[in-house]
This record gives sequence, structure tokens and C-alpha cells, in this order.
Amino acid sequence: MKKRKTLQTAEPYLWILPSIILMCIFIVIPIFYVFKMSLSDISKAGVIKGFAGLDNFIAVFKSPVFGIVLKNTVIWTVLVVLLSTILGFILALLLNNNFKGRKIARAIVVFPWATTLVVQATVWKFIINTDYGALNTLLMKLGVIQSAVNWTPTPEAFFAWEIACGIFVTIPFVCFTVLSGLQSIDSSFYEAATVDGANYWQKLFNITIPLVKPSLTVSTVLNIIYVFNSFPIVWTITKGDPANRTDTIVTYLYKLAFYNGKQDVAAAVSVVGFAILLVCASLYMISTLKKEDA
Amino acid sequence: MKKFFALLLTLVLALSVVACAAPAAEEAAPAPEAAEEAVAGEKVELKVIAAQYGPNTAAWWADFVEKFNAANEDINLVVDVVAWADIYTVVNTRIANGEAPDLLNIDVFADYVADDLLLPASEWVSEETYAKFYPQFLEQSVVDGTVWAVPDLASARALYYNADILAAAGVEVPTTWAELQAACEAIKAYDAELYPWGIDMTTDEGQACFAYYAWTNGGGFVDAEGNWTLNSAENVEAVKFSTGLVAAGLTNTDPTTESRYDLQELFAAGKLAMMIGPNQISTYVASSENPINFGVASIPANEGKATSSVGVMDRFMCFDNGYTEAELAAVTKFIDTFYDDEPYSEWVMMEDFLPATTTGGDIMVAANPDAAAWLDVVGSAQFYPTAKAEWADVKQGVIDVQQNVLLGGDAQELLDTLQAEIAG
Repeated sequence: MKKRKTLQTAEPYLWILPSIILMCIFIVIPIFYVFKMSLSDISKAGVIKGFAGLDNFIAVFKSPVFGIVLKNTVIWTVLVVLLSTILGFILALLLNNNFKGRKIARAIVVFPWATTLVVQATVWKFIINTDYGALNTLLMKLGVIQSAVNWTPTPEAFFAWEIACGIFVTIPFVCFTVLSGLQSIDSSFYEAATVDGANYWQKLFNITIPLVKPSLTVSTVLNIIYVFNSFPIVWTITKGDPANRTDTIVTYLYKLAFYNGKQDVAAAVSVVGFAILLVCASLYMISTLKKEDA
Repeated sequence: MKKFFALLLTLVLALSVVACAAPAAEEAAPAPEAAEEAVAGEKVELKVIAAQYGPNTAAWWADFVEKFNAANEDINLVVDVVAWADIYTVVNTRIANGEAPDLLNIDVFADYVADDLLLPASEWVSEETYAKFYPQFLEQSVVDGTVWAVPDLASARALYYNADILAAAGVEVPTTWAELQAACEAIKAYDAELYPWGIDMTTDEGQACFAYYAWTNGGGFVDAEGNWTLNSAENVEAVKFSTGLVAAGLTNTDPTTESRYDLQELFAAGKLAMMIGPNQISTYVASSENPINFGVASIPANEGKATSSVGVMDRFMCFDNGYTEAELAAVTKFIDTFYDDEPYSEWVMMEDFLPATTTGGDIMVAANPDAAAWLDVVGSAQFYPTAKAEWADVKQGVIDVQQNVLLGGDAQELLDTLQAEIAG
């Protein structure tokens, strides 16, 4: 009898054992390795020369470029997550209505998400390019403009396009997470509210939003992590050029590691990014979960 | 309950460590085996990592390996062809794990010399093969008086121009900077939709742009003694000239994000009148659907200065993996076979490169008389100072300087800062 009980308690752990092993191999151990690299002196050929203490971190914070990169990363993450969450939420509300062709509409929304990011970014780059871009060609054919317009006159404009691309590819994820939350709301709530004479906005703010909040929390936390770590869009469109003005932490550390041969400093940048993400994601989780408990 | 969970986690961690260690142990195992086999007169394994130059590289190597292994029964040659985008990561990871390849085909070598990872070329290249190389190419692989690598191929840059556009705009092929500027203005006046001049200042190859103008203005990265001279007056003038062309609207619109490949496409499409590029552009343009009427000329130089081409060279290097005599003999055999006239001329012509050996050059000229001009170009070309340890920082540095000048920075100030950072 007792033996059976032990087996029962152990069973769930046995089931999750494979995932834990995989996570250790592919996540925990590499993280340890990056921490070790960030504290080591590594030659350009990748040979570990010895312990460097905090030298790599000092080099990171001393570099004037890191400030620009950090600012870009914050702007990139906040704008992409915030705007894609708002737009994805609105889209989910629309798709939750019953209308003809709803299935087709949902399939179309998945499209940007189902396409590889590099392909997406390459297409965007091709659209906005001044010299051979599709946008200029189209507008000129339609007679809207007479000659090619430079859509990316400044680094900021380039970055804005990258953010737009980021939002475009993130919306489907938010939309479908919220949609799954919306569909689990019992329609009797709305019926009761209608009987009580509540209008659309009252129903939205007092029924819909509180009930999809758990889904929104999940999508926002995951998005903060994904977007912060997103590499393909910025890399494909500008590679962080000109002069790091469109670099985010991830493209910057990639350049450091694989273009400039500074794997140790790149590892330090990576650790800084990891710490920032850990703090942001935990704060957000704790605050929202507390509110839900209360 | 908690105790049980803790125990389980420990077990998992222990297991995962074992799981990680296992493949490493397996991969390490063949080494002693190979040694034993060699003693027994069996096969010596030779591991080569080669860069993927283009669509034909992998197939060429597969064919080479098959023939080589058939002809040398005591050697088992294994060649990994790796794309340029990944090759540095692959090589560095393998070095870090103590699994350096025996031979490596890549562009840089000084970083590996700095870590004492390579064998001098004299130890693994036969005298007969060594005598085939152009001496000025071998000089590019010298650190502290020792040749550490041998060139496998080269390419050189020249001015490409669309002859029809130049004729229509009524301008001659420019030979000086002043003529270049005037020609660009004339082309712009002839048709504002055209881009007169192509410039690529991207992270990919912005250092080439710096070199095009610095070297044709008597400047450059280093002086005759090999000291860094990044902030010389000639270099400042060169950066001001190239960025000035961009500011005047005479170039492609986004030089910091449009790579040479984008320019190449604009050129082949007849939208770009002139650009500086490697010899492969000839084939690229000729094989496009509606080939444009193009010509090749020397890169324009500043008034009173000599023109200069930018040479790019890749190399073979041999890692010091503690070889037995049989293993070292296998390396030499590989190099001798590779540089043998027939496979080597096939290798060079496969992706339109230029040969690094005199014998290869003769064969190429016999096959294609146009190649003679290119061989002259590459013979007089200057090369990046890749043998210097600071090169990676300099390369990124000049790219940043040019991009910052485009954003409104001062060329003199930026180059002064870079020079101070590099030379101390």
C-alpha cells in the first residue's frame, strides 16, 4: 500500500524528467558557460586564457556605445510589446465576433507568425528600400509620388521601421493568446450584464478584461522575453548600422562575438541582458500574480 | 516530499552532466584509435574545414575528397565545407573544445598565431609546392619573420562602369577623383533616376570602402614600418571625399545598409552607373537576363596620386595537433595534391577567383586571355594588414568612423580617437 503511494507521488516527476534533462542540457549548462566566459579572458581564437574578474563588465559599461544600445533595446522592447499587445487585443476582440469568413480571417492573422522572421524582415527591407524598394515602385505606378522617396532618411527612421516590423510579427501571438482567453469566458456573464443594462464598454472593462488578464499576463511576459532577445529583424534590415544607432543588446553582442572576436566582452553583455530580463519579467509576474490573488 | 524532489533534481543534474560529457568522450575517443591504426599501417585521418565560396564549392570538395581518398589508401580525408557566416563560430568552438581541425581554409590567421595554435608553413608544405606561390602573397602571411599560412586564392577590386550610361551622359571613364565627381554630376543631370556611384559602408565590408579611397590618396592603414597611421591627413581627406559623394546625393541612398551584393544587383539592372567591385561581377552581370554593356577600369585616384587595387586573399593553415610523422606526411600530401596544376586551376576557376600560384596563373591566362589583366591588378594590389593583431578592431573602427561621419561627425576627430585607441 505504502509502496503504491510512493509510486503515485513520484509519477508526475518521472513524467517531467525528460523535459528537465533537456532544459539542463540546452539551457542551464549553456547559461553557466556564458557566466564563466563573462568572467574569463578569452583570446580572439576562442581560447580561454584565464580568470578576468569583472574586467569584461567594466569594458562593457565604459564603452560609450553600450548606452546607445541599451536605450535602443528599451525603446524596442517597450514599443513592440506595448503596441502589439494593444493591437493584438483589439484584433482578438474583432475575431471573437461571429461573422462570415471568420476562419479565413483567423488563418490570415496567423500568417505573419507562421513565416520565418528572417524572411519577414527581408521582405520588409525590400519594401522600404529607397533605391529598389517595392513601396516606392508601387506608389510611383499609382501616381501618388513622382520620384523615389527616401523612407529611411535617418537611423531613427530605420529603427521605427524595424519596430513596425516587430509589431507586425508579434500581433498574431498576442491575438491568439487573448482569443483563447476570450473563448473560455462563459457567455452567461454577458447575458446577465445585458439584462442589467450594461453597455459595450462596461462589459469590456468589467467582464472581458478582468477575465482575459491571465492570458494577457502570459503573452506579455513571453513577449518581453522574445522581443528583448529578438535578433533576426534588426540584423536582417540594418545589422545595427549606422554606427550602432539601430543596435539592440542581442545584435550588439553578436557583432562583438563574431565580427570583432571579443567573446568575453560579448558574454558579459549577454549576462547584463539576462539580468535585466530576469528583473523585468519577475517584477511583472509578481505584481500581476499578487493582484490576481487579492 | 520536498526531500524526494530535491533528491530527484540532484539525480537529474548528475544525469545531465553525464549526458553532456558523453558525446565529448565519444568524440575524443577516435584520436588514440587513429594513432594505433597509423602504427598498424592503417588509415590516417585528416580533418579539413573549408570555407564555402559559392554554390559550387561543396560539390568541388566532394569530388576532390573522393579522388584523393581513392588515390591515397592510407589516408582518410574528411572535408567540412562551412558557410562564411558560420565558419568563425564553428572554428572557435572546435578550438575551445580541443578539437581543432588539421587544416583550415579561411581568411584570417594572426589570431591563431597569437595563441600558438599553428605550425609554420615550412613544416607542412613541400619545397616544390612552396616555390609555386607568388612571393608578394606569401609575405601577407608572415608574423615575426615566419610564414604561417599559404594562399589558396585571391580576388581583386576594380572600377566597373556601365558604358551605355556613361556614353549617354557624355562622360569618359573617370581616372581621378575630380573626374569621378564631375562624371557623377553629369550622370545625375542626364537622368535623376540613376545612381551614378555605388558606395558600401556596411558592417559587412565597410573597411573595403575605407581602403578604396585611402589607398588611392596615398594613405592607408599602416606606414612602411607597419605602424598604424589611421588618422593621417590622406585618410581624413579620403573619408571626407567618399562621405561627401553620399552627402551630395551622387550615390545609392543608404550606404550603411546596402551591401556590395545590393549594389551589384543595381548595377546589373542598369540603375547604377559605376561601382568598385571584385572580378566576379563580370560573370554575375554577363549571366543576368539582359546583360548590360559594361567595362572595367582602374579605381580613380586623387590628383597626382597612384591608383591602387584592394586585394583579398584567403589561406590554408595547419593547426599544431601534435602530429606523428605519418600524419604530417598526410598533410603535405594533401597540400601537394591540392596545388597540383589540374585540381588547382579547376578550384580557382570554379568560383571565378584569381590564382595564388604562378603555375595557376599561366593556366588561367591560357584558358582566358582576359584574365591576364586581372592578374596584373592582383599583382599590384595592396592587402589589408591582417597579420597584425589589432586588425579586427581597426576593421570595425574604420567602419564606425565612416558611418559616424555620414551622421555628421568630424572625420579628423573620429580618426584621431580611433588611432589613439588602437596605437595607444
